[in-house]
This record gives sequence, C-alpha cells and structure tokens, in this order.
Amino acid sequence: MQFRKITIAILFLISTHARAQLTGGFESNSALYIDDAKIKLEQIEARQRLRSNNYLRLDYKLANFTAVVQVEAYEPKALLNYSPKLNKTNLGTYYVKYKNDQLRLEVTAGHFYEQFGSGLVFRTWEDRQLGIANSIAGGMVKYSPLESIHITALYGKQRNGLGFDFTDGTIGGLNTDVELSSLLKIEKVKFGIGLSYVNRNEKKQVYAGLNKNTFLTSLRGDFSAGGFTADVEYAFKSKDALVEFNTVRPDLQFDGDAYLLNLGYAKNGFGVNANFRRVENFGMYSQRKSAGNVNNEAILNYVPALTKQYDYTLTNIYVYAAQPNVSFEPNRNKAGEIGGQVGLFYQFKKETPLGGKYGTNISINYAQWHGLKGRYDAAQRKYAAEKVAFGQKYYRDASLEIRKKWNKKWSSVFTYLNQYYNARYVEEAVGEVNANTVVVDNTHRLKKSKSIRLELQHQWADGGFKNWAAAQVEFNFNSTWSLFALDLYNYGNKTVNDRIHYYNFGTSFNKGAYRVQAGYGRQRGGLICVGGVCRFVPQSVGLNLALNYSFYVAGKRRLNKRII
Amino acid sequence: MKSKKLRTYKYKGKNFMSKIFTAAILMMVMQFGATAQVLPNIKLSTMDGAGFQTQQLNEITGKPVVLSFWATWCIPCLNELTAINDNLDYWNKESKFEFYAISEDDSRTARRVPAVVNGKGWNFNVLLDKNQDLKRELNLMNIPYTMVIKDGKIIYRQAGYVAGNENDLYKIIKANQ
Repeated sequence: MQFRKITIAILFLISTHARAQLTGGFESNSALYIDDAKIKLEQIEARQRLRSNNYLRLDYKLANFTAVVQVEAYEPKALLNYSPKLNKTNLGTYYVKYKNDQLRLEVTAGHFYEQFGSGLVFRTWEDRQLGIANSIAGGMVKYSPLESIHITALYGKQRNGLGFDFTDGTIGGLNTDVELSSLLKIEKVKFGIGLSYVNRNEKKQVYAGLNKNTFLTSLRGDFSAGGFTADVEYAFKSKDALVEFNTVRPDLQFDGDAYLLNLGYAKNGFGVNANFRRVENFGMYSQRKSAGNVNNEAILNYVPALTKQYDYTLTNIYVYAAQPNVSFEPNRNKAGEIGGQVGLFYQFKKETPLGGKYGTNISINYAQWHGLKGRYDAAQRKYAAEKVAFGQKYYRDASLEIRKKWNKKWSSVFTYLNQYYNARYVEEAVGEVNANTVVVDNTHRLKKSKSIRLELQHQWADGGFKNWAAAQVEFNFNSTWSLFALDLYNYGNKTVNDRIHYYNFGTSFNKGAYRVQAGYGRQRGGLICVGGVCRFVPQSVGLNLALNYSFYVAGKRRLNKRII
Repeated sequence: MKSKKLRTYKYKGKNFMSKIFTAAILMMVMQFGATAQVLPNIKLSTMDGAGFQTQQLNEITGKPVVLSFWATWCIPCLNELTAINDNLDYWNKESKFEFYAISEDDSRTARRVPAVVNGKGWNFNVLLDKNQDLKRELNLMNIPYTMVIKDGKIIYRQAGYVAGNENDLYKIIKANQ
C-alpha cells in the first residue's frame, strides 16, 4: 500500500510539473536451488528453494529538488546467507535533497550515503552483492563558504534492515576539507588538509562503566606536484568495550588508531603506487553489540584490505580481508594489522622489441600484511602492541599481469599470482596455504562484433582446497547476446567426495539499458569479497536469473497522454 | 485463528509484490517515446584531486560526450578502455567528440587510478566517483557501462562489454556529429 501511494504521488507530481523528470532502476536477482548428487541445501534453508532479491529505485527531480525512494523485495525470501533482516517487501531508503550550486549548498533529509576522507572514520555505501546498505537516516548539510573550503555536517541513525528499523546508536559527524593551494592561489603544486569527527551515542543500551559516547577523529593531508602524489592520514578511536561472543564487555576497554601513507608517481607509460597502513582496534559499528557480526550489519567505517583486487575465479579463492579488530584466544591474539603494497604499471611502446606492433602492458603487484607485534595475555584480556613492528604474517601476494594484443584478431591477458594465506588468523579457521595461480585469458575477434573468449586457469596449493583447474568459454554472437560455459574443478581436494566440478552455463543479453542473464550451475561456497569486505555463501546448485533495467519518464505533456 | 492470520499475510505479500512488478512494467512501457534523460549534477574529482561537477559535461554542445564507467580491478572494463584507446587516434581524426573514463574505484583502489591510467598509456580524460554517487543516481548496477550524451541528453547506453562493442560506440559518435 505504501508503495502504491508513493508511486501515485510521484506520477501526480510529474504530471503537474513540466520540467520534472522521473528516472529509475530495477534490479532483480533470483535463484531456484535444486539439489544434486554432490551439493545439497541445508535442511533449514531447503524449506524455501525459490528466492529473489529485488530493488526498485525511483528518482524524481524538479528544479533544485530530488526525491528518491528505494523499495526492496526479498520474496519469498532473500538469497542464501543475506542478513535475516532483509526479509519481505518494504522501504529501503528514501530522501529529499535540495542542491543549489550558486549557493554551494546541499541539504538532504532522509537516508544518505557519505564518506569522510578515505572512509577510515566514516563511510556509508550500498553494495547489493554483499547486502550492505548502511545509509544514515537523518539530516546532512554540505556547504562550501569558499570554492576551496568544504564542510559537511550530518546527524541521524543508521539503517538496519528494512523500513523504519535503525540501529541503537545515534551518529553525528563533521568533516572539513580545505584545498590550501587553491586558497593561497598556488598553481604549480597542490596541497590540502582534511579533518573529520564522528560520534556515536548509544543511550538505548546502558552498560555500567561505559561512556555512552564513542568518537573517531581523523586528520589528513595531501600533496601533488608534477606526477608525484602523497597523502597521509592519522585517525584515532576513543575507548570502546571489547565485544566477545556477541557480549559487550564494559570491563575491557581499548582505544584504537590508524596510520595511512600513500605515495604515487606517474608519467605517460609508467605508474607506481605504494600504500602503507597500520591499524589497531579500528572496527566501528553503529551499535556495540554488532561488532564483528558476519552479516556486515551496522558498519560505520571502511577499512579495506589494501591488496590488489583480482577478477578471476581462482585468484579469488584465498582473499585477504583487513584485520582491524581486537580478539583474544590462546595462540590467536589479534589487535590489528600492519603492512603495505606496491603496484607498478608499465607500457612497452609500439614498435619496440618488447612492445611489438601494438605495445605490451605489464603490471606487477606486491602486498604483505602482518599482525601487530606485542605482548598479549589472552587469560587477562590484555595486550600492548608495538608501534612499528611486524607480528604474525597474515598474508602476502606477488603478481604479474601481461596484457598483449597479438594482431587485429587475437589478444591475451596473462596473470601469475603467488600467495601466502594464513587461514588461522584471517578466517579464524585452520592452516596456512601457499598457492600459485596462472590464468590465460584469450579473446579472438571473428567479425565486427562477434568474438570468442577462452579463459584457462590453474592453481597449485599446498594446503586448503589444494589444486584447482578451471576453464571458461564465452561466445559473443553480436554486441548484445552471449553464451558462456565454465567449469572449476577442485581435483586436488584431500577429501575425494569434495573433488567437485563447479560447472555453470548460461546466456546473457545486453541492450541499451536492459541486461538479462540466466544460467544453471553450481556455486562454490566461500567468501564473496568486494573492496575487502566479504560475505560468506554456502555452496549451492540451481537456476539463476538476473535482470537489470533503468528507465526514464519525461515531463508533463507526454506523461499525461500516456496516463489517459 | 493463527492460520487465518498467516493466510491473510501471505495474500498481502503476494499482492504487494505483484503491484511492484506492475509498477515496474508500467514504468518501462511509459519510457517509450519519452525524451532523453539529463545527466545529474554530481561532484566527481579529477586525478589530481580537484573537484569536477558533472554539470560541465551537460554544457558541452554540438558534439557527443562519451562516459565510460570502469574500475582498476574490472577486467572487461580494462579490455574496453584498451580497445577504445587503440582506436582513439583514428576516431579523433575523423570525428569530434569528448571521452571521459569514470572510475568507480573506492578508497581501497582509487589511489591506483593515476598509476594504471599512465601505466597503460591512456590518452583520455579520467574522473573519479569514489563513493559511487553518480553510479547510484544513474541507476547503473554493474560496470563496465558506457553512455553517450549530446547537448546534455543521454542518447545511448550500453551495459557490459564484449569485444567489438567499441565499433557500435563509434557508429553512435559518427552519427551525432
């Protein structure tokens, strides 16, 4: 009912205002889980085999105003392993925004997504694949008193599930960015500073001996000149209670901090980028009891894994996730992480020995992450970490990617990845894995828009799932229609029954603003990670269908005609 | 009593769903014949950190403006931009147009953007949409995604990329000189 009323209201508004526009987007991801001989749903999940996640977003714009509503339908139930709070049909996000570029002012009432600096102290965003939509509902004002000074103030409660369900904390935030070089009218170099403050007030849940306010603050600076860039950030988190086994422990309180340094240099044909970071006790949730939850609920800041994000299936079996939290367990004490990565990109020019006729691109990446070295007392729940010292190694990877166009018809991407993955610390599971992965991705153009793509992958691993082989073929009939088939085979698994072929085949259709993809196959269980934030999914088999569509409705005259 | 309640609830749920789908279909039907969408005005940033209002793209007149949404970790996006860059000299000689590659990298990978762009020798404009504000307002679910604007109106959209799509894109550029 709510939805129909909103739709009617929006249509009415459009029909009465000639300059208005209505845009929208619809996304639907559905699955019918069908058990086969090797893969079966757990009994509790098997009660509902048809599942679907649907999102309909409508944006209504008139002059300086925008009104947005997003309705979400998880019917009859959400896809496997989404938060149980995402259930049935209800409002997701809704807001009204006023934006005036002359006044350099933007005011939002309702839900908003926002990020302060790099997101270390505050980030709200939407990622439907991960089930993250942690908008703040309340008010936000963005104002620039001068062109080079930007101020944001916000206040509200964080979305939790659907409708009018919010987490316990009340969030207030203030952010300032000053482009100092343009303020001082300096042109050859660019530099600026930023300052953020975010407070969580948790009045609803009172814990004896615990301050109801917890704050995060960040100070940062950036510099760039002649292809060289550098930025540095220090962030601090005030004392907060340890949360163990979903229990808040007011008797155990720790503060936290984060140091981030990024350096880069680029000129035509060459680029290098390095990131270093140390974080200690820096996870932040909009309610204490949600700390470290597996459903990615109530996340208030963004501590991404600073490793290269790979895009091939076998390169995504052992994925590092950042480890910002404190936890005690004999032989598995954690208080944060320290490490860095370096990425290098180079182009061998055309008509050189290594460049050939079309040029050759290479990229090299190295990342290494450790726990914080220090004294840990798991029994007393105490620790003291050193500032610059490497503890237990959590993860390391080294990779090489070569991209080469051989002639007008053939091109290839070759990837080699060497990884060390400490599952005991990263996943709180058992074991360590050394893995080597090779991917060869070939595209052959047949006619103008007709092509075939063949991807071959292999992974050698001394632990975990052991060896994998994978192949994928994609046939693109024209620019709109493709067929694909792939198989991942875990032939090296120690358990003979787990040597499973995860095959998938299907078709996809893309035209203009439409996208439809349908397929059948087996989904490997494990972590789905985007930007270093992960969601665990169990293995499954079945049919799946994905639909995307974005649309637009014009102003007064046309719409009236259509309604009649 | 309990079962009766349950039944009404189920019925309501179904009804609600069907309304959503009807509404969605209604929207799709209404779209035909509608004039083109205007690009929303969102603040992006350039590779050296300066602000960039997308309104500037709406103000370019008389020639098509191509926007290609990508990320450093998205292989089909890199395939698309590499193919476009290979054709860029030839396209520029024959036609007038502007090209912007809009990175959807978040703060995990956004700092790699200048290194990737230079390391690949790309010769087009690059903008960053670090918290996906533009992507969200345009209702783009996945990248790669390419669109063409002319005189402030979106005249062409292509979701996804397969080898050869750049030829279709160039046809649109040529037809809108």
